[in-house]
Amino acid sequence: MRNILTIAAREIQSYFVSPLAYVVIFFFVFIIGFIFTLGMLGPQTEATMQPLFHSMIFVSLMLAPVLTMGLLAQETSSGSIEMLMTKPVRDAEVAVGKFLGAVALYVAILVVTLEFPIMYEIWGNPDWGLVLSGYIGLLVCGIAFMAVGTFASSVTDNQIAAWLIGTALLLFFWLVGWLGYSSTTWVTDVAKRISVYENFGDFTRGIVDGKNVLFFLSMAVIFLFMAVRAIENRRTV
Amino acid sequence: MIRVEGLTKYYGPHRAIHDVSFEVAEGEIVAFLGPNGAGKTTAMRIITGFIPASAGTAQVAGCDVYAESVAARRHIGYVPEHPALYPEMRVRQYLGFCGRLYGMGSAEIAEAQERVIATCGLEERADYIIQRLSLGFRQRVCLAQALIHDPEVLILDEPTIGLDPNQIRQVRELIRGLAGDHTVLLSTHILPEAQAVCERVVIINHGEIVAEDTPQALTAQLRQAQTVFVKVAQPADNISRLLREMPGVSAVEKVGGDPGAYLVDTAMDSDLRDDIAKFVIEHDWGLLELRAIEMSLEDVFRQLTTQEKGVA
Repeated sequence: MRNILTIAAREIQSYFVSPLAYVVIFFFVFIIGFIFTLGMLGPQTEATMQPLFHSMIFVSLMLAPVLTMGLLAQETSSGSIEMLMTKPVRDAEVAVGKFLGAVALYVAILVVTLEFPIMYEIWGNPDWGLVLSGYIGLLVCGIAFMAVGTFASSVTDNQIAAWLIGTALLLFFWLVGWLGYSSTTWVTDVAKRISVYENFGDFTRGIVDGKNVLFFLSMAVIFLFMAVRAIENRRTV
Repeated sequence: MIRVEGLTKYYGPHRAIHDVSFEVAEGEIVAFLGPNGAGKTTAMRIITGFIPASAGTAQVAGCDVYAESVAARRHIGYVPEHPALYPEMRVRQYLGFCGRLYGMGSAEIAEAQERVIATCGLEERADYIIQRLSLGFRQRVCLAQALIHDPEVLILDEPTIGLDPNQIRQVRELIRGLAGDHTVLLSTHILPEAQAVCERVVIINHGEIVAEDTPQALTAQLRQAQTVFVKVAQPADNISRLLREMPGVSAVEKVGGDPGAYLVDTAMDSDLRDDIAKFVIEHDWGLLELRAIEMSLEDVFRQLTTQEKGVA
């Protein structure tokens, strides 16, 4: 556990001494702020976060692979992985530590975006229950995204490739839900169940369903497990 | 302290090392010597638990490096061939990070940081960002991180590569200073380094161990063909032929640019210096100089790695 926290802390430090963290935070807040402002300018605006949550989850999906692409790919290409893996740490501790570092940065981004519901509170009367469920959704969903990104970073030593693999996987989990509307067979049923979009929807409506939470957390566990296996495999190549 | 038995490693169809076995006793400094690509790094990566072996076992401080990998790694300080540090971290911060991974407490780390910073001569660079350090200082940071937990075993893969002569001397002194308290296995392709630093040499070529002994003994082993340098004042025209006809002499070679100087190869493990001296005096050539040519580790190494013939 200590090793995991040590690795996660180093990862967070490294995010904040590079421009990456600031660029991503700026980008995220800028886009969401833009959408927020557009919404405010419309007639008869409601003080509701619901449409904003949909934008936020999609921007998270696009930015998650940017945050995670370097986690393991950079270590492998620079060779620092050799220094790390010859310390008394387990492969799983390395994967989970790095993943948690990325999750921590994601949480920091979410904290910055709290300005939007706060602004609604100042000029309107938002439903704080809905805000809470939306943020719980963003958190568990983000955890799953970071795990997918960690996995993508573990299978290659090229950061661009890691970013592409991460984006492709996440877009798959986003778009697969569209199959669900074509007809009704067991395929479309499965497609709907593994869709990020479908599983996230309830959170924006103020519903925290254990099924959805479990879906995202299982997704995280599965991809982290695959990341650990990928690290183990790289040792043998 | 380090026990390696029958290590074999394949990278796909390519065999990097084959049946490598050796031991390093506690407190010993051993050089792992071989040309580039001989398999030194592969063997060291297996011993440090970075990659698994295809066959064979390795133990460090009684722990199997595969089955009890994490326990074995606690006893090891490792400097890889291409040390890659985290460039954005500061030296002290990086050493602290490494200390925590070795399970050290905060007070212990603070003490160890100062100890290794002093040992490795990093006092003035302790708060630098690693990216801003020269190669020589980065190498020292690497050495410092390997020493942070005061390990019993140090594994150094080409620790002086890329350093200038002054830095090389400093690193060698540092390594020699570690003898006794630490067991050191160091790889190098530079012979004087092995001769200067180590008590014992393991020579590896094409992935196989070809010799293992002290630098002195290895040199002696190959002295079956001793060479004698002889210089005379008035060489006769037929001196080469006459010398070659002496019993026990296999070859005579004139030393270019030095009139009257000859290299006499003796085939057997016998000392012909006395016979040659008498022979020269009998012929009244005027003996100026006579000495046995010491075979350096370099000659041994060349002989072992070019003929592919084992002598151990």
